[in-house]
Amino acid sequence: MGSLPAQEAQEVQWVERAQRGDREAFGLLVECYQRRVMSQVFRLVRRRDEAEDLAQEVFIKAFRAIRSYNFRSPFGAWLSRVAVNHCYDYLRKERASRISYHWQMAEESVRRIEAQAENPQGSRLDPEQQAALRDFVGKLLDRAPAEDRVVLGLKELEGLSVEEIAEILKLNRSTVKVRLHRARKRMLEDLKRWREGR
Amino acid sequence: MRCEEMRRMILQDWPEEVPAAVREHVAGCAECRAYGRDFGVLRVGFRALAAEPVPEPSWGFATRVLRRLEETRDEVSVEFLERAGRRVVYATCVLALTLLLALALPSSGPLRGPTTAELYLAQAEEVTAGSIPIFTGELPSNNGATPVAPQNSGTGKKP
Repeated sequence: MGSLPAQEAQEVQWVERAQRGDREAFGLLVECYQRRVMSQVFRLVRRRDEAEDLAQEVFIKAFRAIRSYNFRSPFGAWLSRVAVNHCYDYLRKERASRISYHWQMAEESVRRIEAQAENPQGSRLDPEQQAALRDFVGKLLDRAPAEDRVVLGLKELEGLSVEEIAEILKLNRSTVKVRLHRARKRMLEDLKRWREGR
Repeated sequence: MRCEEMRRMILQDWPEEVPAAVREHVAGCAECRAYGRDFGVLRVGFRALAAEPVPEPSWGFATRVLRRLEETRDEVSVEFLERAGRRVVYATCVLALTLLLALALPSSGPLRGPTTAELYLAQAEEVTAGSIPIFTGELPSNNGATPVAPQNSGTGKKP
């Protein structure tokens, strides 16, 4: 008990020092939040090779904008907003420059995955099929618009609640729900197209 | 349950387990069965993606961020100096051009004052205005005396 408020007070102190241009204090904040930012960036962008570079860029942006942080929300939420906005910009550029094709999956894998989807208690997927399914859904995500990817990534991969997503994206709850609904619908339509073209 | 209801429920709630009502409906509707299967594939797929191990930041991550901050500050200052230097060069060029124009142009002109020709014409106007009456037919006869000259004839300038 008492360690959390002390930690928060320490964090506030670091933020205030960073706002005055103290890089050492900002370095301590980076140490605190690097894993969280890295995880968020990776889940949204899904590029292992670029996650670290992007996470560094997020911190650089955060340092430049840290004077605009007004302590109304937790620093972590503010930093998440910077990270999500940076990923969103990246995804928009990336989608324009990269065409992603549907992933080819073996018929057997498709059948096993469908059986597992219909009956989660039934036969488990082996690691190879798990990897195939990850690649497949990852490809579907790559094809989705940046807006869908961000909202689905935060909800389905980061496991955030609608309220938390609304706080990060500065939207109201109903807008987040509408966006989630739309994104899921588009993903299902894309999956249907893949099934029909198979 | 109708097809639309079932799909709306799936999209809104994205349930962990397929509800019994949906199971009942899809048993008799081939299209919704395919829809429900796709939903299941995505749900399982997202779960698999979420379970994927996240890369850890490499050792010295914070140090590299601070170094990049330093580099970007240097870049910013170099860029600022370049921009400022470029502006000084442009301003010098404009100033030099203005000076050259000032030296090359004649010392008289509309901005410098009346030209020699204007002075000459003004003098001529002064002379004629004083000696020759204007619009003699419209002026009062003044009992045969000499015609009245305009009031501003002495200055030769318009009021």
